[in-house]
Formats: sequence, structure tokens, C-alpha cells
Amino acid sequence: MQTPRSLLQWSLVLLALALTVLLLVLPLVLIFSKALGAGWEMVALNLADSDMRHAIWLTVLAALITVPVNLVFGVLLAWCVTRYEFRGRKFLTTLIDIPFAMSPVVAGLCYLVIYGIESRLGGWLYDHDIQLMFAWPGIVMVTIFVTCPYVARVLIPLMESQGSDEEEAALLLGASGFKTFLYVTLPNIKWALLYGVVITNARAVGEFGAVSVVSGSIRGQTLTLPLHVELLHQDYNTVGAFTAAALLASMAMLTLVLKTIMEWRQQQRITNGNVDHENVEKEAQPQ
Amino acid sequence: MSITLDNLSKTFGSYQALEDISLSLTGGELVGLLGPSGSGKTTLLRIIAGLEKADTGRVLFDGKDVTNMPVQQRKVGFVFQQYALFRHMTVFDNVGFGLRMLPRHERPDRAARKARIMELLELVQLEQLAKRYPAQLSGGQRQRVALARALAVNPSVLLLDEPFGALDAKVRKELRRWLRRLHEQIPVTSVFVTHDQEEAMEVSDQVVVMSQGRIEQIGAPRQVYEEPASRFVFDFLGHINALAGQCNLACADSGGRPRWENGVAWLALPDSGCPSGELTFYMRPHEAQLAHSPTDKAHLPVVVEELSVFGATVKLELGAVGWHAHALEVELPRDDFLALGIERRQQLFLRPLRLQSITANGALGPVIDPT
Repeated sequence: MQTPRSLLQWSLVLLALALTVLLLVLPLVLIFSKALGAGWEMVALNLADSDMRHAIWLTVLAALITVPVNLVFGVLLAWCVTRYEFRGRKFLTTLIDIPFAMSPVVAGLCYLVIYGIESRLGGWLYDHDIQLMFAWPGIVMVTIFVTCPYVARVLIPLMESQGSDEEEAALLLGASGFKTFLYVTLPNIKWALLYGVVITNARAVGEFGAVSVVSGSIRGQTLTLPLHVELLHQDYNTVGAFTAAALLASMAMLTLVLKTIMEWRQQQRITNGNVDHENVEKEAQPQ
Repeated sequence: MSITLDNLSKTFGSYQALEDISLSLTGGELVGLLGPSGSGKTTLLRIIAGLEKADTGRVLFDGKDVTNMPVQQRKVGFVFQQYALFRHMTVFDNVGFGLRMLPRHERPDRAARKARIMELLELVQLEQLAKRYPAQLSGGQRQRVALARALAVNPSVLLLDEPFGALDAKVRKELRRWLRRLHEQIPVTSVFVTHDQEEAMEVSDQVVVMSQGRIEQIGAPRQVYEEPASRFVFDFLGHINALAGQCNLACADSGGRPRWENGVAWLALPDSGCPSGELTFYMRPHEAQLAHSPTDKAHLPVVVEELSVFGATVKLELGAVGWHAHALEVELPRDDFLALGIERRQQLFLRPLRLQSITANGALGPVIDPT
């Protein structure tokens, strides 16, 4: 690392800064200025709207269910993949990446085909008064699908590098499997786990593609915030659309701050873990 | 507590890690499991601990079958090569973990736990570091914490997997002497795995030499060194010089007596015991002398290539003259070296004192005394 010296180096830095402002900062500023452009009363009015409130509630509900489910799923998956050696282990790690690789719209469509009323399963569920698609359960289901790799993806490399020695040591010292997880595994993966939760939450709140396929866009019933933004925009309700967008942007930025803090914590832990011991080696040797 | 292993076998996929291991260890001893990497010694240790399950065979502690006993109930202290300390706990909490995990009715109260932890930290001479985290300790200190942690619950057996493998040479040496003394204070049956012959020889009461999933020899360190049971043991313990050649059962030059030959070099052999054909001799560096003339039993001309005059014995590297052998290493007492007036590039004759013959099929043959 060095400070830029020549004119060329300075212009590269300036270009990067200009692009960042143009592509990232400006739209963000615009969202808030548009939302607040007509004054706080309009924002308050839009927020008080029942459809808007329902959209916020639905988004929060989806996140509230998705995050714990994917937390458990991610830990379980990471545990299996890093602690057991079995046939198909590599294949399983590849499978985890499917939601990453696949377009969310395709995922939504798949769910629609399987659980929709035209399918055999969907029909059977409909006969028993259970409607999954075009209702909030469907929204939650596709959100879970789209965000399921995040926790596992964060945990797997960490748990792989930490190895299972500490857990084996705990078992040898008489700890049960559950106590080993609670006292040894969990504290070691705590920060990575929180980080996984934060990004899972961010994706869950912002998911548009998959949700739009299975939602059916019923106003005041199956619209999440991202869908509501689109709807308000099509209604030429600029303040409303940008208010909803500003809400989403605020959630995203809050997530970003949390993520940065956690990354910093992780970094601290790693540097603390690799302290150079040459200088302490000499003191306190056994006599 | 005595440990008995009864016909243990273990495979990983197509790889045979252990093959029909039977072993009986007396209580209170410090036993070294010695072998090159891949010899199955760590697998054997993990099976004794209960971390790994053997495909067939039984493990007995004091005659009681523990083969299917879960690891938590075996009361085994285990020390890992990479320490495996709980990184988020202080030294104090690490040592106290086993006590905290005891069932409620056996668990000592907080004050008693603290007393026990401090007693152990005193034993490993780390009482002033109780509040530190593992990351703040040196390798040697970490391994002592690991040892204290393993001893906290009064294990019936202490197992150590290459305990000093990750430490530098000087710390390793200090720690193994210290382990030896510690074992004299707390005579719990201990098994430690090592690939370092010196370590095994110095620390153990008994050495178990392993190779390719099998036990080659069991015995006291001196016994396995002086009376190796197989070519592998001979080869593995300490440096050896190999003299490869042909056994000529009726050599005309020696009046029809058997002779070992290689180029211009030869050794007179006893009348019986050596088979005809390929014959190799193993010679330890200290089991030979040098002289200005050959004897009527040994004619091995050599040239001095390197010499290291450091210490009580002088190490010489010799090259064969007129015959074939890899660089030969010989150690001479300093006085002998001075009496001969040896210099680099000087031609001399090697006079082996003791030779172990190895037959063409790799088995140990008779020991020859060519003096």
C-alpha cells in the first residue's frame, strides 16, 4: 500500500470515487430526498396507510420466520458437512449453493408448480383448506429457499478451519453432545453465526423476484415492502413509493452497519488468535 | 489401571490402519507408541480413548470390556498435538471444564473446584497465568495447560497424541523431561504417541514400535535398541550403515571358508548360519573401529570424507574405496581418533565390532563378530 503519487494514480482514485457517488450514493440520497420532498406530513400519511402497514408487517413476519429456520438449518448443515465424513458430502456442499446460482424467479415458479392449486399436492392441500401459494405461507417458503445458504456458507469455512479437536476434548472431559455444542461449538462460531443471521435477514427483507411470483400481488394481503414499492410506483404515488423504498434502504443500511461491526469483531478475534508467541516462549518454562 | 487390547483391526476405506493388534499394558507405566507416520499409532490411541471405533477386537481397562463404552464415561485424559484448548475460555476455565461437566452429585462446589484448579496449575507451574487466554500463551505453556486440563478429573488413563510435536526442539526437550518427572509424581497409566525415537527412548518405561498397522516389538527402550526383533526396528531406531554384498560359501581365497564380498572388500564369516547369495549387514555408527591395516577377518578399505570433531565422540563420514556402499557413518571416542591421527582424505580400514546380518528376504540373520 502506498499513497497515490502521479497524476494518473490520482485520477484513478478520483474516478473510483466519482463512480461510487454516481452509482451508489446519489440514488440513495435521491430516495430519501424524494420521500421527504413533500414534507414529513406526507411521509406520516403514507406510513399510516393500512396497505403500507400490512406490507411492513408481512415483510417483518417473513423475516421473523425465515431467520430462525435458516439459522437452525444452516448450523445443522455446516455441522454435518464439517464434522462427519460420508458419501455425498461434497455433493451436499454443492447443493447448498443452488439458491445462489438460480434466479429467484425460477425458484418462485418451481414452488408455484409444486404447491399451486393445479398440482396434485396443491390440490390436496386446497381440499384440506390449506392455501400456500398466493398467501403469506408461500411468501415465507420462497424467502426461506432464497436465503437458506447464507448461514451455512459463513459457518462451513470457519468450522472447517477450527477442526473438531476442541469438541473431542470436551467429550473426553465428560461433556454430553449438547453441552459440547453449547459450551464449545457455539461460543467459537458465535460471531460468524450472527453475521450469517444479519445477511440472511437483509436478503429476506429485500427479496423481490421469488416473492412476486408466489404472492399474487393482493393489495393489503400478500404484498411485502419490495412489492409494495413497485405497486405504489405504478400508481404514480411517488412519495409513497419512495417512503417505502427509504424504509427498505434504512433497514439495509442498518444491516450494513451491523455487518461491518461484526466483521471487525471477527477480524479482532482472528488477529488475537494468531498472536506471535516468539517473545512469550521464553518466560515461565518448567523448572 | 491396566490396558488390554485384544485383536484390534481398523480400516479406513481400503486402507488398513490397524491389523490385528493385541497388547497388554501394565498399570502405572509410561508407554511410548513409536512409529513412522501412517503406522497407525494415532488411530490406536484414539481407539483406546473411544474417539474412534475399531472394526473388530476389544479394549479392556483393568479387565473390564470398555469397547462399547461412550467416550464420556471412559475417564480418559487426552492431550492433543495441537493442544485443543477452548480458545474462548481462560486457562482457569479450561482446566476447570472437566470438573464443571461432572454430574451434579459428583461435582465439587465452586470453592473446591477453584482449589483443585489452582493445585493443578501449580503442578504445571502456570498459576500466575490463570486469567490468560490460550492465544496469549506460548506453545509449551499451552501444552501444559492441556495436560492440567486432562488431569483435572483424575483420569484412570492418560493418553498423549504427539504431545510435543508442534513445539520447537529446545522446548520439546525440556517438556519431555518434565513429563517424565510429572509421571513419577502422578503415576497414572500413560500412553504417548511419537515418531521421534529419541523422545520415546528417553521418556518411556516401555516402547511399542509400530509399522504399517502392526506391532513390531514391545520392550524396554534399551531392549528394543540393543535387541531389535525385526529389520524395521533395527532400521528405525538410530542411524544404521548398510553393507550390501554377496555371501560366497566356499571362497578359494580364504581356503574354502565362507566370505562376504563386495568389490575388493570382504569379511570372513562363521562356518554356518549365513545363507549363500545376497547378504546385507547393518552396523551402528558406534559399533566399528578404524585402523591403518586390515585384519585377517575384515578387509574394508575406506577414505575419510568428512569429520566433525565436536563433542566427546568424533563423527566421521567414510567413503568406500574399491567397493560399493552409501556414505558410512562412524563414531569414534575422541582418544581413539587422536591416537590414529586421522585427517580428511586419509585412507584407512574399517573394523566392524558387531554386524547384524539381513538375509535376502529381509529377515534378521545371525549377528557376526568380525574381530
